[in-house]
Amino acid sequence: MLSTDELQINIGPQHPSTHGVFRLLTRLEGETIIELTPVFGYLHRNHEQLGEANSYLQNMPFTDRLDYFNSMANNHAYALAVEKLAGIEVPERAEYIRVIMVELTRILNHAGAIGFLFNDMGAWQTQLAFSMREREKILDLFEMVSGARMMCNYFRFGGVVRDLPPEFLPALQDLLEAMPAFIDELERLLSENEILLARTQNIGILPKELAISYSVTGPMLRASGIPYDIRKAEPYSIYDRFDFDIPIGSVGDVYDRFLVRIEEMRQSRRILLQALEQLPDATGSHINPKARQNVRPPVGDAYTRIESPKGELGFYLVSDGSTKPYRYKIRAPSFINLTPLGDLCRGHKIADVVVILGSIDIVLGEVDR
Amino acid sequence: MRDLIDGLLNTTLGLGAPDWLVSLISYVAIVTIIFLVAPFQMLFFTMYERRAIARMQDRIGPNRVGPEGAFQPIADGVKMFTKEDIVPAGADRWVHLLAPCVVVAPTMLLFAVVPWGPGMVPVDLNVGLLFFVAISSISAIGIMMAGWGSNNKFALLGAMRGVAQMISYEIPAVLSLLAAVLLAGSMSLVSLVNLQAGLPFVGMLAGIDLGLGWLIFTPVGFVGAICFFIAALAEGERTPFDIPEADSEIVAGYMTEYSGMKFGLFYLAQYILNFLLCAITATVFLGGWQFPGVNWLYERAISPANPAGNGLFNVLAGVLGVFAFLLKTYLLFYVMIWLRGAFPRLRVDQLMHFGWKFLIPLSLVNILSASLWVACMQWGAEQGMGAIEGWSPWARLALAFVLTFAINLVGYIALVRIQAPTRRRPSRLTGSIAVP
Amino acid sequence: MSIQIQRGKAITVDRRTRKTPMGQGLLRGLGVIWKHWSASFQKNDSYKKIQGTFTIEYPEERRQLPEAYRNMPILLYDEQSGHEFCTSCFQCERICPPQVIHMTQAKDPATGKPVPAVESFEIEYDACMSCGLCAEVCPFEAIKMDHTFELSTHDHPSLTVDKTALNRPTTYYAQIAPRMWEEVKENAYKKLAANMKRRSDLIGIAPQMQEQLREQLARAPQAEPAPEAVASASTTADDKAARLAAIRAANAAKRANSENGQAAQGDATQSADDKAARLAAIRAANAAKRAAQQAQASEAPETAPSESASPADDKAARLAAIRAANAAKRAAQQAQASEAPETAASESTSPADEKAARLAAIRAANAAKRAAAAAEKGQEE
Repeated sequence: MLSTDELQINIGPQHPSTHGVFRLLTRLEGETIIELTPVFGYLHRNHEQLGEANSYLQNMPFTDRLDYFNSMANNHAYALAVEKLAGIEVPERAEYIRVIMVELTRILNHAGAIGFLFNDMGAWQTQLAFSMREREKILDLFEMVSGARMMCNYFRFGGVVRDLPPEFLPALQDLLEAMPAFIDELERLLSENEILLARTQNIGILPKELAISYSVTGPMLRASGIPYDIRKAEPYSIYDRFDFDIPIGSVGDVYDRFLVRIEEMRQSRRILLQALEQLPDATGSHINPKARQNVRPPVGDAYTRIESPKGELGFYLVSDGSTKPYRYKIRAPSFINLTPLGDLCRGHKIADVVVILGSIDIVLGEVDR
Repeated sequence: MRDLIDGLLNTTLGLGAPDWLVSLISYVAIVTIIFLVAPFQMLFFTMYERRAIARMQDRIGPNRVGPEGAFQPIADGVKMFTKEDIVPAGADRWVHLLAPCVVVAPTMLLFAVVPWGPGMVPVDLNVGLLFFVAISSISAIGIMMAGWGSNNKFALLGAMRGVAQMISYEIPAVLSLLAAVLLAGSMSLVSLVNLQAGLPFVGMLAGIDLGLGWLIFTPVGFVGAICFFIAALAEGERTPFDIPEADSEIVAGYMTEYSGMKFGLFYLAQYILNFLLCAITATVFLGGWQFPGVNWLYERAISPANPAGNGLFNVLAGVLGVFAFLLKTYLLFYVMIWLRGAFPRLRVDQLMHFGWKFLIPLSLVNILSASLWVACMQWGAEQGMGAIEGWSPWARLALAFVLTFAINLVGYIALVRIQAPTRRRPSRLTGSIAVP
Repeated sequence: MSIQIQRGKAITVDRRTRKTPMGQGLLRGLGVIWKHWSASFQKNDSYKKIQGTFTIEYPEERRQLPEAYRNMPILLYDEQSGHEFCTSCFQCERICPPQVIHMTQAKDPATGKPVPAVESFEIEYDACMSCGLCAEVCPFEAIKMDHTFELSTHDHPSLTVDKTALNRPTTYYAQIAPRMWEEVKENAYKKLAANMKRRSDLIGIAPQMQEQLREQLARAPQAEPAPEAVASASTTADDKAARLAAIRAANAAKRANSENGQAAQGDATQSADDKAARLAAIRAANAAKRAAQQAQASEAPETAPSESASPADDKAARLAAIRAANAAKRAAQQAQASEAPETAASESTSPADEKAARLAAIRAANAAKRAAAAAEKGQEE
């Protein structure tokens, strides 16, 4: 009998597939993970403390930098929090524009997540390139309305920065027309690919109970079979006006997470089509409330949460009556979804770690804040 | 080559050069040509791969250096040469240094048996295939040296994976080549190519040599080609078997700690090996240089069979033969790129699983088919095949085709069904939180 | 499993467990890739297409940037009047999240009161996060977001950009964002017109335009005696000549002034005289400045002759400057006095005159101050 020894490997902080500056401390038996500890904090930017030194509006561009894939969703969550705190009404058209932006964000995030997942599995960026193509189209739209592709900074308290430019709606129509073809092609390329099945099925299973006890949210929770979506459970904005389904998984493995994301893209497209139909015209609504630059909410606190593409994104604000928040706290879905990583990976191979990590869909900007 | 030079010196020019001189000149010429061709193939392949895969991903690919980016590989080479050569602290210096050489040398040796065109094989070994299989597995030692010498855990993991993979996939590769050897009755690559003259299944027909009798058109050759190609992917570390250098898992595997030209040598070895694997697949299963017209031209050229031929036909046959051979090789490499563009990679245990439990049984089934094919096509009463003794060649061919086809198909389906993952839903979702 | 939830249901995703994987998924994937490969020889330029090359070969090909595109902030000025829209209200400096905008407000040198114009304006481009809040909060439409994005440089300090580099004419902005400019144009000009009334001389004029405006001012009265003009133009090196010219100019100004004061003139002659006076004052100021510079320069070598000469020079320069300043002041008073009657003609000419006169006065005063400082320095040494 040969004597064997455990191998300790540090995956990261600089590693091709840790999705940022993130470290996985692993103990291996051969290639099998015995223990895995995620170590984060390398990208800490003092976001929350910074938020308490800034005025309410000044924080808006910083929220873009949380989860840089979904700046619109972050904007939405923050704007909702301040609106709740200060009691600001949002005009109808602005609400619809917000929903359009956030659902586009969901599509681009999920497309990117699937692309990166495929990349983590070792494909040579093909699906990522296709996903990025769709993402670029959506980013074009974002640029049209907000002026920036990723750091949109588009939402304002009580509205959005500016109305949709005239070329926006036709472009969005074109995009939505191509969307089913894109998603179908994605499914054709991946969903039944035997290598993908072998790599994802029954890998990183997150049982329901574990998911709840880790307070996991978003597609990851739904893939574990729990139909919980804040858009349905506690409709914010105008989400109670749309018809859409909640995809859930049956096993809770990487494959379910992947399928749930694909289906969510389809549902987002449904919401977008309905939103476009119901969008009120621009006349008579002031969607950019310039007067609200200096919000001075009354003393109190507010917590709002939205279903960001990655899960429940919550902003907790405490106002002391000044122009700056007294406390500014973020419930970041990436961070909380990342916590069960050690349990998910135990017993799997080292190659599965990156796939499981990819299926959690984290952005280190949000994890470390 | 030797024939050509002999013909040129002694017959055409009438110099009466001694035998050893002819041999010396021809070998020096061959080695020179190989050492010029091999790096060129690597440069071409990197460019080819990058452009083709870019097209698959709706991109353009490198097109800045030179016309349509043609000088990009040269620019990369310059970069490699000018980069700092880093040896990590605690590394075994000599092993670290020698590893790339050990990887490159055998791949260069493999060129010795590749038949480029009619009469254009550097050395026609009667055990050419064996030579190929044997020498190509030497680079596993180099990989292990690289992994060990780097003093890096990722490198060590990569090397372990690489060696395990290479050793496992030698077996299906050899077994699938064995089927072809059975058909040809020879291990010489030249005789394998010569076997594939004429038409599919029937060989020469009415004295017209179309050069299309490739083995891949038979059920045996088809399954053999696929098995060998899959094994070649694993041996050449191509997606979906690029596990030893899985960049998303273990950074760059055994190459993690290499930079500059040492890394360049690994890169060179890998692409040359890929070229050779494609070339061998093309030779054994796609007829090598066989192509309509090549044999017709070669019959009129200087060859051992026809010393009084015309040197011009040598050139013409050579050009057409090399063209056909390279075309097939590049098409096969395109398939490699295509796979790389489409598929993710397998996990290391799945690779072993696939190799040992699927590919090896399938190649064994294929060997059975191959022997049946030989029995149906060539054996008579004295070998125990009296039942079909008097059949016409067409009937025997039909029998062999149907039989081998059926066996291979049934074997494939049966193996797939055995390998299919159980559909039982895992109990972990509803069960306790405990994890394995 | 189907759980009923409000407007919509929970659907369980299909795990494709019905089929035995036999490689058909792999082949289908290869088919998708093949389709992309074969379609990649034409360009994908439509949102409706999901195949075809979508690369934009950047330096040669460029995307049409949308109007709202924002990169780095720039300042706008009106290229007709040369006035900057910025009034240094500090809104942008206050809102800027990374705090990279720094400005100081211009002050009227005569009265010392703040003027709605900006004296210096700096943006640290290297730390700017391009959020566009500054452009959004600006009530005067003075700060806008540029479309230029090729800003990379090896020179880090050059990314702290001052007003001269930030200024862009309104035509530039109207070109990159026609619709957005059209929306705010009227408002911006209305506010600018109001602010222009409170600015004097070259305060609030874009640095790019100052030279031009000065030239315009200088070019206006071509009827002045030629030798003086020539002298003042050619005395860049010769400080003695400069001094002489300054004194002469000052005298001329005085004379013109006294004439102005004594005789009751028509509007036409008065404006001409004013112009002459202004010109003279400007010249005098320039000469004084040059003299002061000359004095400073000649002090550096510290040779005995220059040392002995410099106090005298300084004195002369100072004298000339003081005279010029006085003359200018008087001219200004004159101009103001002549404004009092408020005849139709004088009304139209006087604001400009007044401005010019004040400008001349400021210049002269500055020159004198500098000369004095130089003289002091010289004395100390």
